[in-house]
Amino acid sequence: MRSLPETIAGWVHDGFSLLGQIRITSRPGGSFELRHREDVAVHGLEEFHGPSAARDLSFFDEARNYRPLKTAPNLRRGWSLIVETPEDLRLALDHFYPAMTALWRSQLEASLSSVPLRDTLDRQTGMYAASKRLQDEEGLQLVASACNSKTGCMKRMLWPFTKTVELTGFSRLERSADVLTLDSGEKEIPLLCHEACNILVAACRETVKKRERAAAATV
Amino acid sequence: MVFKPESALILVGHGSTVNPDSSAPTLDHAEELIRRKVFGEVHCAFWKEEPSLRQVLHMLDKDDVYIVPNFISEGYFTRTVIPRELNLDGPLTSLNGRTLKYCDPVGNHDRMTELLSKRASEVSQGVPLKQSSLLIVGHGTNLNDNSAFAAKREVEKLRELDMFGEVFNVYMEEPPLVSEWADFTKFPNVIVVPFFIADGLHSYQDIPVLLGIEEDTGLAASQRDVFRKNPYRLRDRTLFYASAIGTEPSFVDVIIDQVAAFDSVAR
Ligand code: SF4
Repeated sequence: MRSLPETIAGWVHDGFSLLGQIRITSRPGGSFELRHREDVAVHGLEEFHGPSAARDLSFFDEARNYRPLKTAPNLRRGWSLIVETPEDLRLALDHFYPAMTALWRSQLEASLSSVPLRDTLDRQTGMYAASKRLQDEEGLQLVASACNSKTGCMKRMLWPFTKTVELTGFSRLERSADVLTLDSGEKEIPLLCHEACNILVAACRETVKKRERAAAATV
Repeated sequence: MVFKPESALILVGHGSTVNPDSSAPTLDHAEELIRRKVFGEVHCAFWKEEPSLRQVLHMLDKDDVYIVPNFISEGYFTRTVIPRELNLDGPLTSLNGRTLKYCDPVGNHDRMTELLSKRASEVSQGVPLKQSSLLIVGHGTNLNDNSAFAAKREVEKLRELDMFGEVFNVYMEEPPLVSEWADFTKFPNVIVVPFFIADGLHSYQDIPVLLGIEEDTGLAASQRDVFRKNPYRLRDRTLFYASAIGTEPSFVDVIIDQVAAFDSVAR
């Protein structure tokens, strides 16, 4: 069985050159170059080497603000990163988009099962237990803005709101694992969300708390 | 010596959505473990960052998997959150053809005492340790975890080592208070080591303000500068302030030791 690094290298050779806001190019000799996809024709980018450099590049946006959600559409520009081996490519991509290549592999192997948001919330304990009291209406609204691909997060939600209630306000593509092929022929590895992240769970809790505080204030 | 090219290691950290330094020690230790090639694969997973505990198992190529919580003590996260999110049913779990081996948190290892004394000696720039008071800063006892218990255990063991003039536990919000350090220490040198996994607001800002070595400007503290300005001279003492014990590079050895400790117990 091929390892994940070998699998990723195989995808790149097969034309999967885009992941989120990153463009991957294979170079002669077996190394790879990564850069922001908008910097495709830019010359004189600052050059970095090795997967560790991806840590700093991915942790802060252009204004040096911390990016707790790596799939937010605010990756900084102006750099080029060279990694020598498929192992280092895997490490670098896991800094930029943690676990995303692995989830795509699982999706292709049909071993990625999605979890409805309601089930994720029902599992919470401790301070996040309050998120269980999220109402459908407010929850749907929250997801529509928090998981919005233009402003919030570029992942595609494979999970429904509950087993019977679907999310609203998203296109079919935004809810699927379909591969997007650009006019140039380049293909994009989809960023997948098979289960709500902790940031969304925390936001669900905050929505509940806010409503309950407001209700308490009016009594 | 531990050498496990056919095994994977998952190092689990807490992470944060506001503090970029929270996951740094976990990521640093993982990088060092990869560099040393002790395991066939090394991954990090976090509660509040990604990769999450729900994602990390998908990242594995190996079937033999050690999971080490990069936490200072047993507690809510190691007993409830991590097992629940990873579907563990005890120290040994078989899941989809994999064996998941759940090790003790790093801070639980016997060698923590050695690490704390090492950090205290290093930061104190050669002053006689017998003429020094060592303060171990812990979270308060009111938290739903055993970190205060662990901090007390370490102080007991540091006293037994008999390297320092005296050793105390201090806390930020309950006695003995960090802010009263000068009242209960009797030696000319005072060494302060936070018993935390990562540097953050506590170690950059709260503790320095309580010690009196930084002004409470309301602004984010000058980050690592606070550790570079040692020694501080105040209240007729010489004070040395260390960064969180979890940033100590030899934490990596303790991570490896926790894996060895897991293997040494027959299951
Ligand atoms: S829940 Fe998924 S899609 Fe929504 S913000 Fe979190 S990671 Fe992105």
